[in-house]
Amino acid sequence: MSEIVELNLAVNGRSRTVLVEPRETLADVLRERLGLTGLKVSCDVQVCGACTVLVDGLAVSACTYLAVDAGDHEVLTVEGLARDGELSPLQQAFIDVAAFQCGFCTPGMLMAATALLSDNPAPTREEVVAGIDGNLCRCTGYVPIIEAVLAAAAARTASRPDR
Amino acid sequence: MIPRFALARPSALGEAFAAFDGAGGDAAWYAGGTELLQVMKMGLARFGTLIDLKGLPELRGIAVEDDGALWIGAGTTHREIERSATVRRELPGLAGLEAHVANVRVRNQGTIGGNLCFAEPHSDPATFLLACDARLRLEGPGGRRELAMDAFLESPFVTARAPDEIVVAIVVPGASAGEGRAYEKAKFRERPVVSVAVRLRLAGGKIAEAHVAVGSMTDTPIRVAAAESALSGIPADALALSEALVVGAAAMTRIDAAQDLDGSPDYKRHLAGVLLARAAQAALVEAAARV
Repeated sequence: MSEIVELNLAVNGRSRTVLVEPRETLADVLRERLGLTGLKVSCDVQVCGACTVLVDGLAVSACTYLAVDAGDHEVLTVEGLARDGELSPLQQAFIDVAAFQCGFCTPGMLMAATALLSDNPAPTREEVVAGIDGNLCRCTGYVPIIEAVLAAAAARTASRPDR
Repeated sequence: MIPRFALARPSALGEAFAAFDGAGGDAAWYAGGTELLQVMKMGLARFGTLIDLKGLPELRGIAVEDDGALWIGAGTTHREIERSATVRRELPGLAGLEAHVANVRVRNQGTIGGNLCFAEPHSDPATFLLACDARLRLEGPGGRRELAMDAFLESPFVTARAPDEIVVAIVVPGASAGEGRAYEKAKFRERPVVSVAVRLRLAGGKIAEAHVAVGSMTDTPIRVAAAESALSGIPADALALSEALVVGAAAMTRIDAAQDLDGSPDYKRHLAGVLLARAAQAALVEAAARV
């Protein structure tokens, strides 16, 4: 029960070690210690989704998640979506259909939708709406975001005719 | 920022009680944190030690007991319940409810035990579990006991649980022949505005008995006796049901509902009548499949 804990994190496929207090949130550690400022802290009470990251593939609110609980788990942030400088199909779809305006909710939307698509690679429109329910956007009215997720799913299905 | 605390991570119930004792009582049980970390951030609660229950195998799992009751470990997350094949088979109303608690991030972190212990008056599972006659199993350093939902939930954010007790599991009686259990809610934000749960049993073409629970309108979820008696003993046909639902909706208008940001008491009473009809229909569909 020491005040400072050595925390081993696997963030975006890279192993990181930080000294943290138990009270520090995953959002604090990712943003302030590791410089991963893609996630945003907005409502700070787990209702807006701007701080969404994936822990072992599950979407969580980094603002209300103790960093120590992520120890020895796989953390994925928006910075980890692109591979070798290539945007993920979902990121590309967000650009193609202009699914953002101010962009503040976008990292959280991308992470929520990434979790949704890895769970359900060919969601219906209704399932997309349910999957991003709780990620708030104040610009787009959600329609282009839903279109982008559906487009990314369709592109992936088209590229894999066996599915 | 969350006020400073020490974190204990026991791996068995006995170790958890020892940690609580070692903290001199200045400790809180911690699991998903979706409620506890919020109130600590807001400065509404402060504890010297948080005792993480996620490592306790005694709180994990979902099983059907010998008598057919559904056993759900208190440390099970909303998402795990939503996805459990066992829950979908034994108590589909709970799996469906869990799929719509708050948002997916809360469901991935928050546990059913934590939800019930926080005793927020707008809890989704509490209302449904009250209608289902669920019981909570608690363990403390002094032994174990079982409490019914209505005995457990005392007032907003207050339960009958002693500070050193842990809710280990929630146990829901298995469905008897002809039984259906359903839950309906209206919500604008994270928590329901009003929710209604109906449990009924069909026998010989009649609704032999009915439970009606209403949540989010009062300090704790309540059973509505007048709606229950209106539904009990009637033929299970559309005409009798619509007549009983009129009486049930009238019973809802007599609930002493709280006014809050989600609406006026009258608005909530109206919603409760509408949701009663939906929940009764859904419970009948499930009940017919179990006859």
